[in-house]
Formats: sequence, C-alpha cells, structure tokens
Amino acid sequence: MPQLSSIDELKELQRMLLDDIHESKPCIVVCAGTACQASGSSDIIRVAKRHIIERRLLDKISLRVTGCHGFCEMGPFILTEPQKAFYVQVTLDDVPRIIEALLSGDYVEDLLYGDPHTGKKYHNRDDIPFFKNQQRAILGLNQKIDPIRIYGYIAQAGYSALEAVLSKESPEWVVKELKRSGLRGRGGAGFPTGLKWELLAKQPNGDGKFLVCNADEGDPGAYMDRSVLEGNPHSIIEGMIIGAYGTGATEGIVYVRNEYPIAIKHLMVALRQAREHGLLGGDILGTGFSFDIKLVRGAGAFVCGEETALIRSIEGKMGEPRQRPPFPIEKGIDGKPTAINNVETWANIPLIFRLGADEFAKIGTKGNSGTKIFSLVGKIKNTGLVEVPMGITIKEIVYDIGGGPVGKAKIKAVQTGGPSGGCIPAERFDLPIDYDSLTEAGSMMGSGGMIVMDENTCMVDIAKYFMNFLKGESCGKCFTCRKGTQRMYEILDDISKGNGTLEQLDLLEELAHVVKDTTMCGLGQTAPNPVLSTLRYFGNEYERHVVDKRCDAFVCRDLVGAPCQAACPLGTEVWRYIALLEKGEYEEAYKVIRASNPFPSACARACDRKCEQRCNLGTSGGEAITIRALKRFVTDRVDPSVYTPMRVVREGKGVPRVAIVGTGPAGLSAAHYLSLLGYKVTLFEVEEEPGGMLISCIPAYRLPQDVVRKEVESLLDENITLRCGTALGRDMTIDDLFTDGFKAVFLAIGADKSWQLDLEGETLEGVYSSMEFLKAFNLRGRELAGGHVGIIGGGNSAVDAARVAIRQENVQSVTLIYRRTCQEMPAYAEEVEAALEEGIKLETLVSPVKIRYIEAALKEGIKVETWVSPVKIYAQNGRLVGIECIRNKLGDVDSSGRRRPVAVPGTEFSISLNTLIVAIGERPDSDCLASMGVDLDKGGKPRVDARTLCTTRQGVFAGGDLVTGPNTVVDAIAAGRKAATVIDRYLRGKELRELPKVTLPEVLIQPAEASDEEPGEAARAEPPTRPAESRKKNFAEVEMTLSAEEATREARRCLRCDLEFTRRENAEGNRVAVRKE
Amino acid sequence: MITLRINRLPVSVEDGTTLLEAASFLGFPIPTLCHMDGLSSYGACRLCVVEIGEGPEAKLVSSCTYPAEEGLKVRTASSRVLRARKMILELLLASCPQSKTIQDLAAAHGVRQQRFKQEYEDCILCGLCVRMCQEQMMAKAIGFRNRGEKRSIGTPFDIKSDVCRLCGACMYVCPACQLRCTYNEPEKAICGGCENLTPSCIDKERFDDMMCYMDPCVACEIEKE
Repeated sequence: MPQLSSIDELKELQRMLLDDIHESKPCIVVCAGTACQASGSSDIIRVAKRHIIERRLLDKISLRVTGCHGFCEMGPFILTEPQKAFYVQVTLDDVPRIIEALLSGDYVEDLLYGDPHTGKKYHNRDDIPFFKNQQRAILGLNQKIDPIRIYGYIAQAGYSALEAVLSKESPEWVVKELKRSGLRGRGGAGFPTGLKWELLAKQPNGDGKFLVCNADEGDPGAYMDRSVLEGNPHSIIEGMIIGAYGTGATEGIVYVRNEYPIAIKHLMVALRQAREHGLLGGDILGTGFSFDIKLVRGAGAFVCGEETALIRSIEGKMGEPRQRPPFPIEKGIDGKPTAINNVETWANIPLIFRLGADEFAKIGTKGNSGTKIFSLVGKIKNTGLVEVPMGITIKEIVYDIGGGPVGKAKIKAVQTGGPSGGCIPAERFDLPIDYDSLTEAGSMMGSGGMIVMDENTCMVDIAKYFMNFLKGESCGKCFTCRKGTQRMYEILDDISKGNGTLEQLDLLEELAHVVKDTTMCGLGQTAPNPVLSTLRYFGNEYERHVVDKRCDAFVCRDLVGAPCQAACPLGTEVWRYIALLEKGEYEEAYKVIRASNPFPSACARACDRKCEQRCNLGTSGGEAITIRALKRFVTDRVDPSVYTPMRVVREGKGVPRVAIVGTGPAGLSAAHYLSLLGYKVTLFEVEEEPGGMLISCIPAYRLPQDVVRKEVESLLDENITLRCGTALGRDMTIDDLFTDGFKAVFLAIGADKSWQLDLEGETLEGVYSSMEFLKAFNLRGRELAGGHVGIIGGGNSAVDAARVAIRQENVQSVTLIYRRTCQEMPAYAEEVEAALEEGIKLETLVSPVKIRYIEAALKEGIKVETWVSPVKIYAQNGRLVGIECIRNKLGDVDSSGRRRPVAVPGTEFSISLNTLIVAIGERPDSDCLASMGVDLDKGGKPRVDARTLCTTRQGVFAGGDLVTGPNTVVDAIAAGRKAATVIDRYLRGKELRELPKVTLPEVLIQPAEASDEEPGEAARAEPPTRPAESRKKNFAEVEMTLSAEEATREARRCLRCDLEFTRRENAEGNRVAVRKE
Repeated sequence: MITLRINRLPVSVEDGTTLLEAASFLGFPIPTLCHMDGLSSYGACRLCVVEIGEGPEAKLVSSCTYPAEEGLKVRTASSRVLRARKMILELLLASCPQSKTIQDLAAAHGVRQQRFKQEYEDCILCGLCVRMCQEQMMAKAIGFRNRGEKRSIGTPFDIKSDVCRLCGACMYVCPACQLRCTYNEPEKAICGGCENLTPSCIDKERFDDMMCYMDPCVACEIEKE
C-alpha cells in the first residue's frame, strides 16, 4: 500500500473499505485475548480455519480473530455475524457445528449462553444481561476489529477523528474541545485531561515535548489496559496523534510492561502499519505536521506506573519517584515538558472527536463524563471486563452485570483501585461510581480493578495480601513507605496468626496515617488504604481476630486449624473420628464424638452440618465428606456405654444448686455438664416430657422420638432433678427460685411462639401456627390438618409442617406458599427436595431445578407456590375456606443480599384451603421475663453478653434459641455447654470470661496407607433414603445408615487437614532453617 | 525573589531554594538524617517533613526537596508534623537502635516507647553514602539495588569495585553506623541517655520518699508518663 499523502486519500480508502463491509458474508468471530487464549481459543481458531479451508467455504464465510470482548468467564466463545449468536465455552468439536448452523441460518441451541437462574437461552448476544446493561463505547470496538489489520480499524471509522482534527481545526480548538468534553484521567487520580494538554501546549516548544501513554498496568486482578492495547492498538495511536497535534508534542512514547507480550506485538505491528500508511512520521497526511511514537518496555516494577518514576525509567535510570513540583508537564523526560496519560484516556480521545465533545459529555454524570472500564473479578458469577457510564452504582455492576454471588455466600464488599484502593462494604453499594464518591468512601477509582468479596473472604487477610504486595513493590526510597508497609504487614501477620493485641490495632491505624502523610509519591500515600478502609468498615473482623481469636471466613490458617473442627460450634474433632473410623476403631471414634457432644445420635440426624459446608474438599471444588452420615454410622454401631465422662465429686452440704428452665438441647446440655462438675441441678419443663424442640418439633421421620428419649434418659443422673409441667411465669418466678435456695438460674426456654401474618381471620378454625400444629401431633398425637392444606413460609419449620401434614390421615394435598424462589428458601436444601419428592406442588418455575421438582411433585400431589404472598383469608361460618394471594416479582437487592419480593398489582388469585399453617418464623415466648428483672429487646430476646451469657439480672444466664431466635440443635448444645462453664465460674467467684484460645488439632493419627484408588476420584457417599412411595402416610425414618464399606471408603476421602498441624513441629523447624540461610 | 511564610514569619528567598534552607535561614530547626550541605537533596528519611497549605488542602512534604513557592504557608512544628516525626523516629529506633544519632533525635523528640519488633540493622538507606561517593568523590562506586524491602546499598553484583579508592567518605557521613550508642542494656531499644542526662544517683525503687534537689527532674517526668 502506498503512503497516504493527503486527507482525501484516507477518506477514499475508508469509502472503499466500507463498501467491502456492506457486501460482506457471514462471519464467525473468535476472541484471542489473553484470557480466552488461556482457555483454549487459539485451538478453536485453528480448527475453524481448517474446517473453512477443507470444506471450501472461503467465499461463503469469514473468520475474524479479535481482542477481548469482556466476558472472560465464558471463554472460549464464538460470536456469529450477522446473527449475533453467542456460543460459550465451546470445545473443538463444536466448531464445525457452529459453522454449519451459521451457513444455514440456524442456531446451535445447546451452546448458546443460558441464564444461570432460569436456563433461558439468548439468541442475540445483546440481550444477555451482562452485555445489555453495559455501555461499551470503547470495548465495543474490540469485537469488530482484527487488531493486527489497520484496515479493520479504518473501516470502523478509525482515523476519522484524526481526519476531522487535521482538516478543519487549529490546535487550540483541539484542546478547547477536549476541555469541553470533561474527560478526566483514567489512570485513577482523575486529573482533567484537557487541562493537562492546555498546560503542555503552553510550555515553550524549545527542545521538543513528549506525550506518554502509561501502559504499566500492575494492579493485581486488573487487565483493562491490556485488553485495549491487545484488541485495538490503533485507537491509542490515533489518540496520541491527535494529542500531539493539539499540544505541539514531537515525540510519543508508549511505556508498556514486558509482561504483556501480545500487547507489545500488536502495538508494534500497529505502529509499523501506521508509519507505512503515512499516519505517523514526518508530514502526516501531507499536512506538514510530524509526530512519531516509540515503544519502551518496562521491567515490571509496580512503582513505574507512578509518573515521575516512569519518567526516570524511560530515561534509563532506576524507577523511583521524585518530588513534584516541578511537575512533568514542566520538567519531564530529559527535562523536557511531558504529558502522561493512561491507555484508557488515550482510547477515549478518538471517541470524543468522532462524537463531538457535547455528545461525549452526555455520557455519564456532570463532572464525570464518559464511560469507565472495570475488570470485574473475584467471587462473582460473570467475571470479565465491563464498561459502564460513570455514575452507575456499584450495585448495578455487581448484581445486574456481574450476576451476583457465585454460591450461597453473601457478597460483603468490593475492593476497587488495586493495592492503593480500598474496600467498599455491601451497605454502601448504592454509591455512584465516580472519582469523588469513591475517594470519599475511602477507596479510589484507580485504574479500574474491581474485586468482589463474599463472606468467605477474610478482610484481615485481604489487607495482609495487599501489604505483602506493597512491601515488595514500594521503591524503597522513602523510609516510611518502605518500613511502614513492612511493619503494617508484620502487625497484620500477627493478627492473622492469633498473636494480635488491641494495642497493636491502634498502632496499626496510627502508623497507617503517618505513612499516608509522610511519603513522597502516590504509591506511598495510598499504600495504607487497604488497611485503613478495612479497619473503617470491617473493624469488627479485626476485633474477632484479636479478641476472640476467630477468623469467621475460615481463611487465616493458624486460627482455623482443621476447618471441620473450627466450624463445629461444639469443636468436635471431626477429622479425628473420621480417621479412627477409617482404621475401624469405631469405639474410639464414638468416644471422640461423645467427648464434645452429649447428643451424638440426635446430631447424627438433625445437625445442620456446618462442618460439611467448610470441608476443604468441598470448598476447593470437590464434594465435601458426608460427615453427618459417618457420625450416624458410628453412633448406630457403638453402644453409648463405652464412654464414661469424667466427674468432679463434691462432698458436703455446701454444693450449690442450679435451676435450669427449659429442657431442650440447651437446657439438658447445661444440666449434664453442671452435673459432671458436681452441682445439683433442677430442670423445669412446661410440657410433660423433656427434650424441647428435639421431641416436639423435629418430625419423627427425621429424628425418631425413641432415639431422643434414649439420649435424654442417659443424661439424667442422680445430680439432676426433673420437674415437668412447670412453667416459668405461671407456676413460679425467678425470685421464687432464688428464695428456694438456687444460686444460679439458666434460662433456655427456646423460641416457640410463631409470628403472625397480620391478616384478618388468623384466629379462625383451621388456621394454626406451625408450632401449634407440630406440637399437637408430636406430643399429643392430634392430627390438626385435613383436606387441602396450605403452608406459608420457606424455613425449616414450614417444610417440617408440610411433610408432617402430608403424612396425616385426612390430608388430600399440601401446598407450600413462599414469597421468593425455592433457591432462596432458608430451609435445608435436602429437606426441601425431600418434601417435593413426597409430593409438594409448585407453580412459578424459575430454575430448571424446579422443573425437576414439579415432575416429582405432580406425581405425588404436593404443590409449592413461589413468588406469592398471602393477602386475605376467606372464612365461612367461622371456618377457613381459602386464602387470596398475590404474585411477586424481583425487586431490589435488600440488606441480606437477596432480591426483595415486590407484589405485582392485579395478579391476585385464590386458593381454597381447609387448613392453613403459618410458618413465617418464631420468637421466644418471653413476655413474663420482663417483669422478673431480665431486660428484653424488641424481638423478645433477653439482652445477653454474648461472651458470658449473662442477662441484666445477677445470677441469671440465658442461652439457646431464647437468645439467638430459632436456631440449630448444635448451636443450642454449644450454648448449654458454655452456660455450664460460665455458671461454674460464677459460683466459684471467678472472672466469667474465659480467655479465648485457638484450638488446633493436637493428636497425631497416622494416615492410611495410600491405596490404588485415589481419594479425590471417589464420589461423595450420600446416605440411602427410603423411597418416596414407601414413606407416604407413615413416620418411618427417611434417611438410613451407610454400610461399613461405604463408610470406610468415604472416610478415606478425607484430606486430613489435621496433619498439617499435628506434624507441625518438624515442618516449622525446617522453615526457620530456610529463613536463616 | 520568592516570599513565603514559615511559622507566620515572612521570608524572601531566591528561586530554587528549598523549604529546609529557608527554615534554617530563619533559624527554625528541622531534623534530618539524609540531608547534607554539599550533596543533592534526596528526601529519603522523611524526618524533615513540614506542613504546607491550609484546611483540607494541608499536607506534609519533605522540606529538603520541596521548592519554595510564592505565598506558601509553612509550619515546621505543627502537631501533625510532630506526630509524624515521632512515629518515624519510633520506626527508626526499631530498626537501628545502635545509632547514637538516632537515639539522640528520638530522645529530643520525646519518643518514650518502641512498639515494633526489634531489629538490628546497620543501614537506614538514607543514601548519603551513595551521593557522597558520586557527587563529592566522583567515584560512583556504590549505589542502590533492588526495591521495596529488598533494597540495599552496595557495589554492582557485590564485586569489589575498581573505582573505589577506599576513601572512607561513605562511612564518615553515615548516620547509622558512624556513631555508636553505647547504652548499657542492649535489649532495650530506647536509650536516650546522652540527651536526657538522667541523674544516675536516683534509685527510686528504694528511696520512695527521697526529695531530689533537681525536682522536678527529667527522670521523674519520664516515669510519670
């Protein structure tokens, strides 16, 4: 191609290329950005080429290899034109199918992108929420351009901005126009670009001026500059030529880090092409204006992104910042005036001059015009590059574009701005994204990294990670930055290892402020941000680490130990009994379980399995060990008498007596442990039988009553007196108890008063609360449900009630009515599933999972209504005949991270019912306590010091569901056990609070010999369940025991996280030695 | 000439004068470790920070590198400045307790505690030796290497330098290793003996009711804090 020697020639070329486009053929577009290449797009391209050539399709179809499209989560993908079908995560075999489908105008349905919630397939890429909610002014070009072909860029109106600038206007107009556009620097600080250019243009043009493109993108997790350089290098070149024209600069430099090989390659190709076409060099397009760009590769120091360090690096010196003033705009490279802009800023320049400044200023908000590219990474469904107009809220990015959290864990914060930025907590997700709001919130725009963090992210660990990065990447010139980051890391490391103190927290904050104040460059001044912002928003997490020695996210290794043990509220040595089970030592295993849990058999059936949720096998992508089924296996096999607890014998008359009100798991556990300590305990129970929720609410098919009775029986020894049929408030008061000679009182009356709907007619015959319904059946054998039964709620008690109801004699159908989707039901997933198998109906289908449910449901006759709220109760002759409901739709995300259900007016419908069970939650029946000197909060829960269980009345303690609201069995047992130790300390006149200590695995159990079968390959052994047919209308236990063989195989899958600690001394000895070298 | 105000006193200086020079012209003492007349300014130790600007715009800058600007308002000993200096000295003490220069500065600034893990380093990377070697001895035998926590000073590749004349100027200017603090208790980071002149005669443990002729003396003040 001959050089273009005038603007007209460029225009002519453009016209020719456009004509070509208009008569173009179908095209498949494959992304060859770095992320997609990593997931295998180069092979896709190769296969596609081969298929096209072999099948002689060259004149029917074309192939375009482009830069990053942004949806990196789904790579490698293929986009077809003109269909705009978007095929995701394609494999090599899929390529010919896609090509054939495109030729015949069809779609390959199974490869199209489908909504993760509904499974709905999108035929047009632009309808996909990830793309639909973006405004892709810059990134949008990537998919249309082959980055190594200049004609592709020119055909997309490339270099037309340069054309306009060169043909009509003067340099002053360029600067004025840019100022009017309101563009601010995209590197992070947000300095107005127009002002910078104006300052540069005013500098005397003696020895020349420099324009620099800063492509030293080094933030962990950020890659938007890389994608622009790789996907559209000509836009940077065009931007810089316009800049040179406007400011009178003579030389341009692109400073790009050497870790970006594709970016460097594409840029070099683009520079050569631009030179060959007369767009760079002397006498550009025959206008007499000269400018050339050269490429400088950085060696990878993070600090070289700082402009004064970058200048020194270009000069060939050590990359360390210097004092400003003088600013680079006066004295830059070799002392000559220099303007430095970020890649994204340069990419915006052609856009501004193509659209016009006014049009550009309309994008975004006032003072923050234009779009911004973010790299959205972390614990989010759709990771990738997103481009949004400024002023959009974080919520919109995270939930609408990002698709919300990956798993069930709630999103708690986003980290913006890389190591120099800060964390913004979920409560502030309404914050508009612009330079000023982010700075006010303690973070910064930075280059645009956005790391989403959920509850499994430890904020102390995050701060520690960034501090570790910065202490290595600080240039080291300023003493406070070099030593300050090291010292901050040291303190954070102490905290994450459980050695932190509250004084150290103060010191950390003080030091952070001094580092911020006293360092020279931007890196040092922002280096404490990760610490300061996490301290500001997540101070409680720091305190948990320091005071309670707990890491709630299970990240800080030295505080967690074996995650299964740390997750268990009772601290059961799960790893230990699993290891013993594997060796066949069942009795030893039972002893380990029983040592920390007085209700092993009940927990083997009704525990909510916190241990399994935290199992490292599960969190690292596999399937967690079936810990509960293994516990069931051990408890079913071993006679409880093998374990004899240690007893403290107290003699004489002076043994203090303790009164415990309530005989649920909390009350019984407290009684048991107090009895072991030698105290005389009297248990008061309002019902006729001890056991609390274990007996009265958990249905027998889940937890057979004789199992509970046997376990309760074994705990009641000679130190414990049981008084049933006695209610606090009705038969006695706390004062009475103290007068009777009790020295301490433990309240564990649970939470069994149901919340009401606040609808008229709730007192009608046929309307019951879930507790009323379950107790009537479990304790007295009365079947209250009959005919068509409706249950309102989505928690465990709702599902329990549904499953009890369908087993009752006179029941014809059962419908669960819930205001959100099945996935959001708080009930345990396996319970919901089991209920559906037993025949619960479902109307609104939101996910494919639920389609499976409805099939099972239709077979058996139970129905689930989701997205529905009740609004009215119909009655006839004082008896319930039905309810009216209204349908809901998705609303905003509420504080719990779930989308709020919003009623849709006009969608009311009625269901005729004979029985209605309200199961929307329970609260403690604690009204009588207020008059006895125990302060209650709004929910009726006593105000209790969580660390000591003390109520506001001396000598009175409270725990279990009464304090926490409806909770799990295992939490109640833990509260009871804690109450026993606290009451013991109280009676002995000791400090009530125990010093928290970290429990790490201590006993070494040798691992099994490696077998042929790799542990990772074996699948999780789910316990067998009784088939749905044979469990109708009876209360036989649904879940059954594993066989010995299955149990051993399952136990062998254990990763044995404990060995890391029990074999620790050796390992640490080595580590120290390594450091000394 | 540029006119600025330092601690409310107006002063006129030539273009290119640093704030440190202007302040010392007026007689305001500003501590430094990395600055020396005759060598170029570097701004590494950050001890010489002063506060400039007002209100939310106020910030700390190193006075040895910041050029005087017309109308600038400088405070050399505001509470913010002193707080920062104290913390810097605490950090320095934690790294280099055996330097008499640092011990004296710390004592003079009332540093009474050292809350970091004790280290015993011989270098604070102030760079005086590097500049001495380069600018006065014209040798360029030593320089900085690496970055961040790995930064150190030495000859290229740690090979004995051909250009080094063993003149010893680098050691002469070193604030960390030239003057040793000969304190009695090496495990204690804070000595301050030379600056505080604590009377050694008073053993307060044993003579609770003793009246001291120096009352109130420095030692008692320290104890009270």
